Amino acid sequence: MSPVLAIRDYTLDYLTQGGAVRALDAIDLDIATGEILGLVGESGSGKTSLAWAILRYLASNAREPKGSIQLAGEELVGMPVSRLGAIRGKRIGIVFQDPSTSLNPTLTLGTQLTEVLQRHRGLDAKAAEEAGAAMLARVGLHDPRAMMKRYPHEASGGEKQRVVIATAFACRPELIVFDEPTTALDVITARQILDLFAELQAQTRIASLYISHDLALVSRVASRVALLHKGRIVEQGDVRDVFARPRDSYTRRLVDAVPRAGSRLVHTQPSAETPMLELRGITVRYGRRSLIADLLRRPRAETIGSRDVSLDVKPGEIMGIVGESGSGKSTLARALTGLAAFEGEIRFLGRSVTSIRDMDDAYRRDVQIVFQNPDSSLNPRHRVREILSRPLLLHGDPAGRPLDQAIGESLREVQLGAEYADRYPHQLSGGEKQRIAIARAFASRPKLVICDEVTPSLDVSVQAAIIQLLVDLRGAPARARCSSATTSPSCARSRTASP
Amino acid sequence: MSLAYLLRRIGLTAYTLLVVSLIVFGVTQILPADAAAVLLGEAATPDQLAALRIRLGLNDPLWTQYLRWLGGVLRGDFGTSMRTGQPVAATMLEALGRSLLLAALSITLMLLVAVPLGILAATRRGRASDVAIGILSYVGVSVPEFVTATIVLLVLADWLQLLPATGYVPLTENLAQGLKHLVLPTLTVSVILVAHVARMVRSELVDVLHTDYIRAARLKGLPERRVLFTHALRNALLPTITIVALDVGYLLGGIIVVEEIFAIPGIGRQLIVAIQARDLPMIQAGALIMATTYSLANFAADMTYAALDKRIQYG
Amino acid sequence: MADLLRRLLRTPQGAIGVTIVICIALLVALGPLLAPYSPEGLAPLNLYKPPSAAFWLGTDQYGRDIFSRLLHGARATVVMAILATSFGTLAGALIGTSSAFIGGRVDEAVMRTIDAIMAVPTLLMALLIVSTLGKSSTNAVLAIAIASTPGMARITRSVALAVRKQDYVRAAIARGERASFIIWREMLPNVIAPIVVEWTIRIAFAVMVFATLSFLGLGAQPPAPEWGLMVAEARKFMHLSPWMILWPSLAIATVAIGFNLLGDGLRDALNPRT
Repeated sequence: MSPVLAIRDYTLDYLTQGGAVRALDAIDLDIATGEILGLVGESGSGKTSLAWAILRYLASNAREPKGSIQLAGEELVGMPVSRLGAIRGKRIGIVFQDPSTSLNPTLTLGTQLTEVLQRHRGLDAKAAEEAGAAMLARVGLHDPRAMMKRYPHEASGGEKQRVVIATAFACRPELIVFDEPTTALDVITARQILDLFAELQAQTRIASLYISHDLALVSRVASRVALLHKGRIVEQGDVRDVFARPRDSYTRRLVDAVPRAGSRLVHTQPSAETPMLELRGITVRYGRRSLIADLLRRPRAETIGSRDVSLDVKPGEIMGIVGESGSGKSTLARALTGLAAFEGEIRFLGRSVTSIRDMDDAYRRDVQIVFQNPDSSLNPRHRVREILSRPLLLHGDPAGRPLDQAIGESLREVQLGAEYADRYPHQLSGGEKQRIAIARAFASRPKLVICDEVTPSLDVSVQAAIIQLLVDLRGAPARARCSSATTSPSCARSRTASP
Repeated sequence: MSLAYLLRRIGLTAYTLLVVSLIVFGVTQILPADAAAVLLGEAATPDQLAALRIRLGLNDPLWTQYLRWLGGVLRGDFGTSMRTGQPVAATMLEALGRSLLLAALSITLMLLVAVPLGILAATRRGRASDVAIGILSYVGVSVPEFVTATIVLLVLADWLQLLPATGYVPLTENLAQGLKHLVLPTLTVSVILVAHVARMVRSELVDVLHTDYIRAARLKGLPERRVLFTHALRNALLPTITIVALDVGYLLGGIIVVEEIFAIPGIGRQLIVAIQARDLPMIQAGALIMATTYSLANFAADMTYAALDKRIQYG
Repeated sequence: MADLLRRLLRTPQGAIGVTIVICIALLVALGPLLAPYSPEGLAPLNLYKPPSAAFWLGTDQYGRDIFSRLLHGARATVVMAILATSFGTLAGALIGTSSAFIGGRVDEAVMRTIDAIMAVPTLLMALLIVSTLGKSSTNAVLAIAIASTPGMARITRSVALAVRKQDYVRAAIARGERASFIIWREMLPNVIAPIVVEWTIRIAFAVMVFATLSFLGLGAQPPAPEWGLMVAEARKFMHLSPWMILWPSLAIATVAIGFNLLGDGLRDALNPRT
């Protein structure tokens, strides 16, 4: 049987000031009816460009020197825009990553569903309404009619993504491209959406291209997988084969980077010493009093960020704190570092801390934090040198080294060269910025380092490297411990000493 | 929109008007001019001046004078003009009517021109028409009204003799003539407004056209016209409401200048005349009315925005 | 500084803006020296002359050379506008940063009051102040400075608040840095850039308001060669010589456009992420 989508020797260049940059090189891909092909690649690999190429939504500086993309035998490359209108949505559908941004906030969910039904299936308003409601029921939304009247902000992430999926499937296209459809969702919802997708695809037998950076995730739904690295397909084949016998070195790195329960990076057991850090009954409240609310005698709208948390961390231990978004992990981190007022008691190295005022210089030196977003945790107007020198100037260097030397060694510890000292944050990549943030935290040899979701914004291979770095730094002379807050249970499992 | 939000906005507007009244009164009361002396003229004797001062309540503490004035204002009594001896309220109200007419015409013209220009510039981004509109907008916001007015007068009234230069004819008297006299002032005031709003519409629309949801709409296969008018404009025009409200501020400034140049007896003109003559009650009334109009325009814009914006929960 | 200039020249707005503003700066500094005639030099035989070799831009109703008057007037118009804006910016920045720093109820009260003050449009406020203090250039400057303070305060506050929320400020607090370090080294460098951009754009506005005040007879007084005043005087003689109106109008517009463009250019040039 001829494939639904056939890509042969496809090449894509972008024209930039520095010349032509090759984004895709000699791509060969097939997707047959009823098949799910997983396309795995990291940021910069070109997977997004490939999606645009298939949908024919390329930037104005894109050039296609050679290759062909055929949909059911029809050549898409070079097709005039006027004919593309008949293809988009009708024969090729797409589901985007973030339903919050891919739905129009000023139109109801129903309108955004029925408009494609009217356009592509020629239904009139009433029929489209009926068909729409039926489709929403099929994707598991109860009370479809009520949902159709809602606006995007009135629905949850999972509900919105179901609507988007319903819209894509409703027009019965020949191919649907899924661009990381679960990345923006929390773990539980992501799983539900993934199951929904698998079920719908099995029922409708629509050919699907599932794009993701997460090899583990893709392997759960796809039958075949293609790995994209720097614009080239480095490996392609049956999912189980690729996992069991990766042929390419890059593939092997990716497969190894997948965190697996039972595979651990840390093998030492914590000693049964007294805990270094004890939290007792930590509660954090947010909320503001509004004069009008007081006048109207409304109850004070108060949010509890953290409720009565108690835990222990022993010296040398890595404690993973896992929770959904909104469960209070970051709040806890902030309370510990004096960024949020809290109730309760912190006992650190035997000293009692009951409020921010109790956190003296010694505490500040010994308890450090690495933030989630390296773009905002480094001052854009400071050079790396200044960023790294602050903790040393503030708390002094325990090894008594001259400043430049200390900075150089800090950089080396995070596997960056000395030339990075003169750079500004905007000249660094996401992974490099996070390394600087980590170097800054470890610079004055703290006793406790809190890592607040430091990896999700990075690619999987970079994540693995960062985690390895943290593990290694732990072993450095001054024995730093790390407590990590994360939503990814797989990441935590590979490191936790206590569940 | 909840009751609490509505109450809060009304409360804030009331507070704003209070502060405005304080400013207007406070700033003008630093006037060293002796109101009594102005009224009675040079030939007044010290006794007559003293008597008048007592009668006008000028010897009372400032706070008492302020409260007395405020009380009068809330009852609709703005005092008597020091220049004409006529009650201020009546004169000002009539003048306000004319200014409002000019304002309404200007805003209408502005919307009819600026929105299509903005849409054109956004959809033809980077091309000749966009650049041209961009340059014109830049020039539009950089030229003060009195310059525009003068040029417009020069070209359309003096050289081409198309329209009357100055003066005012009430619409009730003669519709055609009345409107003719209003063309040049409306045109002048609109220039800055159009430049502002067109730029705003363009920039908002450009941002919206780059969003993920517009991209998604296009990739759903919807025709471009639907994408633009049903999907994009709704999102782009909402912030424009705020800008139009802010522009009422520029509008008021423009009206002052334009009425002066084109001799339209509106509230701006009254204000200038009053300032030249140091006619305190008129100055206070004019300023208060103008600032109140601005506040109410902003309030109306807030309410409209809140009613139309689905996203934000106003609680 | 050289780096800033290079970044400015990269965009068309920045390039044109900085060129115009540098020319203006030169005119302001050297204007009176370059003027061929005295701004008050009467020449009763040369009234209402169009541009010629002797009088590059023509003469006005007293036979004064328009070009010389423009050059002298540059100081009056531009310097006054810059002074007024700078005072307003300093006062506003102080109020805005303090309010953001103090936070809480005080901040809210201050900002609501600022919003209320801004209900009086700038020109109206300036008119009120001038009507009280009397008509002169100095009073006009004071009036514009006072009128632009609330706007600057609001912008400074919102920028300060946005910077305060950034993680790098949080990181500094968590490290235990002193408040003075946080304000001076972490926050201020990121706050100054938007303020400078706003300052530049407000100069353009101040030029226009200042000229308008003079035009209405409430700013500079005759025989000062202030550009707005020149336009006001020229109106009466429009039919005798359009040049009298044209040149000062063009000058005002050019200065305003120049500062507007420079402001836009600075916005891009000072952005650390590009």
